[in-house]
Amino acid sequence: MNTVKSGLSASAVLSRYGFPIVLASVFVFFSVATRSFLTLANLDDMAHDMSPLIVISAAEAFVVMSGKLDISVGSIAFLSAALASLAMRDYGVDPIAALLIALATGGLLGAVNGAIVVALRVNALIATLGTMIMFRGVGLELTDAGLVPLPEKVRLLGNLSIGPLFVDIVVAAVVLFTLDVVHRRTRFGRQIMAVGNSEAVASDLGIPVRSVIFRNFVLCGALAALGGVLTTLQVGAVTAYLGSGLEFNAVAVVVVGGISLFGGRGNLLYSVTLGALTFETIRTGLNYYGANPYSYRLVGGAVIFIAMYADALKRGRFGQNRNVLVRE
Amino acid sequence: MTAEPFLRLDGVSKRYPGVVVLHEASLEAYRGEAVALMGANGAGKSTLMNVLGGLATKESGAIFIDGQPVSLRSPRDAAANGVAFVHQELSLLPTMTVAENVHADEFPVRGGLLAPEIMRRRTTELLARLGSKLPTDIRVENLSAGDRQIVEIARALRRRPRIIIFDEPTSSLTGRETTRLFEVIAGLKRDRAAIIYITHFIDEIFAICERVTVMRNGRTVASAATGSVTFRDVVHLMLGETDNIVRLGKTTAGDAADDGGDVVLQVRGLSRANVLKNVDLTLRTGEIVGLWGLLGSGRTELLRALIALDAIDQGELCWRRNGELLSVTPRELRRFVGFVTEDRRGDGLFLPLSVETNIALPSLSALTNRLHLIARKKLTRLVHSMMERLRIKASGPKQPVGTLSGGNQQKVVLARWLATNPRLLFLDEPTRGLDVSAKTEILKLAVEFALAGGTILIISSALEDLMRVSDRYLVISRGAIVAQLPGAATADELKLAVSDDSSRSELSL
Repeated sequence: MNTVKSGLSASAVLSRYGFPIVLASVFVFFSVATRSFLTLANLDDMAHDMSPLIVISAAEAFVVMSGKLDISVGSIAFLSAALASLAMRDYGVDPIAALLIALATGGLLGAVNGAIVVALRVNALIATLGTMIMFRGVGLELTDAGLVPLPEKVRLLGNLSIGPLFVDIVVAAVVLFTLDVVHRRTRFGRQIMAVGNSEAVASDLGIPVRSVIFRNFVLCGALAALGGVLTTLQVGAVTAYLGSGLEFNAVAVVVVGGISLFGGRGNLLYSVTLGALTFETIRTGLNYYGANPYSYRLVGGAVIFIAMYADALKRGRFGQNRNVLVRE
Repeated sequence: MTAEPFLRLDGVSKRYPGVVVLHEASLEAYRGEAVALMGANGAGKSTLMNVLGGLATKESGAIFIDGQPVSLRSPRDAAANGVAFVHQELSLLPTMTVAENVHADEFPVRGGLLAPEIMRRRTTELLARLGSKLPTDIRVENLSAGDRQIVEIARALRRRPRIIIFDEPTSSLTGRETTRLFEVIAGLKRDRAAIIYITHFIDEIFAICERVTVMRNGRTVASAATGSVTFRDVVHLMLGETDNIVRLGKTTAGDAADDGGDVVLQVRGLSRANVLKNVDLTLRTGEIVGLWGLLGSGRTELLRALIALDAIDQGELCWRRNGELLSVTPRELRRFVGFVTEDRRGDGLFLPLSVETNIALPSLSALTNRLHLIARKKLTRLVHSMMERLRIKASGPKQPVGTLSGGNQQKVVLARWLATNPRLLFLDEPTRGLDVSAKTEILKLAVEFALAGGTILIISSALEDLMRVSDRYLVISRGAIVAQLPGAATADELKLAVSDDSSRSELSL
């Protein structure tokens, strides 16, 4: 803004908006360098692709903002979707009931995570690492590690669209906006932030810390299941690989979007959109650019480092600020 | 004078395993008045206030508010009975806004959603009462220490408390912020609140408190109107009688500062913003120097700064090496110094680990064999010799330190540093929480160390302990060395030194 101190303010702008600027440049680059990147059809496709990841990342963001981590979301997505598909295939359950089965399963599995973390006081990363392995094991047993195709009628739902938008884009958008309101405007949302700031302080203030954490895991499980359902609809079947690696993509989206892994900090709508769009842009862009398909992982990894480095720079400055204030 | 006290704590006792922290302590507070709760480190004032705030449970005794007995089992109980606690370590949520912090214990909700306009309005009103015009939507992490304190007080006031506890509220405030806090407290008194004010700056109580209650060793030793006591009286009451002090052993160092052994450490102009002011000191071989000052005088901060646990802004350090005084940085000095910290359970020991591990840890590099692996035999020999030399009572070297008595834990800390053969030891409150015989043993070990040519800089709130070992005294106040006293100084002289007016002239800023 200030032209006199352009050097300073430019660096301030860069450190604050650096990541969106990089994303925008990458976006422009692919738009110019490839013919079909910047087309309505492709953008619609990208949004369609991103939808399950957005739902699961939004759920992960809630857990991260309370200072915890849930890396079982991919396995929850798999097991819940598998149960729902099996119910339809083997017991002829109708699709709506199957959806409810999936969500209830997800909530229940989330409750298992929450109980382990809250009641047994196990570190969340370790607890969900254990359940990640367990839940997938149960799912593989139930599906015989094979394909469970959706009934023909249900499979068509995957291509259902409202106007030009695929139905899963609408679902993802509704989830994202609702969670954002919950985060900013409800007692639960604010208590999550308080717990993420400091469990000890939150508890001294009379906030039911354990209950907040538990409910958060349940919510995360149910939403992970919804993400699993969306993926299943896109694919047309539950595969043994459904959701594997998804937990790390979700965490990557969350941190790249700027939500601190230390908890208590972050803007849900902005961060999840930015994070998911970053990875989707790189993946689709490289694809259209004709790059080696394995290069996506290299670039994706590099993006995570850049985002974390930017975060560390920012925190470093805040940290200094804090010291200065205390010593005044 | 009000007839009946609004708040009365009567015969409150509490013990932690092995230590009595409160023994029939009592306190009275009146509406519209502030009572100062004074006491040296570990006198029990924080514990007594935790009982009142519902953060600790008492074993016996009673609490009456407005003549009615009350039971305070949780912070919620306390709040419901009109008790608010403004903690020394603020309980704020840094990434959340001022309004959110003020309402964090009970977010106002309308129709399922938060009501930000209610939060904003109430916060603005509360801040206005405190004479502050802070924006309500700024994050607390961006505020100064004084403004944070205001936010904390605003939250305490939200529930219209009738009793407000301030626990060392000025320790991180500037002069101007302190003045403003005093105005706030005066306003609360006009609103007929009963204030309990804990501080280690004695002169503050004469500015804002009507009465003073002094605690020592878990007991209430005196209560009086502030008009009827002097600064010196308060110091005397806090420190207690110090008759018949028998010096332990006799070190080789003489009384006068410039006689005795070789200089081992010379410090010139050590400063750290707002904490230490231009500190000069000289330490010689074979002497025990008592660093005498009240809590908050900068005594612990001086030790920390000397060995780079806190950064310094200025200062020159010289350390004797190979017979010559050579300049060193605090970080280099750390390698030659053993530091027995104030908080032995928190900072000093790895409680779940064994006596052996705790003792050997800083010496491990000297205990390796040719393959750079730890040599079991050397380690066992070292640990055994230290346990014997310091008479550590444990079932064996494998016993977890957390299960030892306080005195033996302190010996383990000492053993750890003695094993590194330091030439200089810092002892910060080495006798805190120990019984009489354990105290004597620890002090004897200190004297033995000095007799063998070591140098000790020791801090203690217990004047009699300090007097039993010190060869001379450095008096510290407000971060500056304000006097030097010889080892022959009497208890009265020492008390007078920290009550001296010159040491607190800066407070009125």
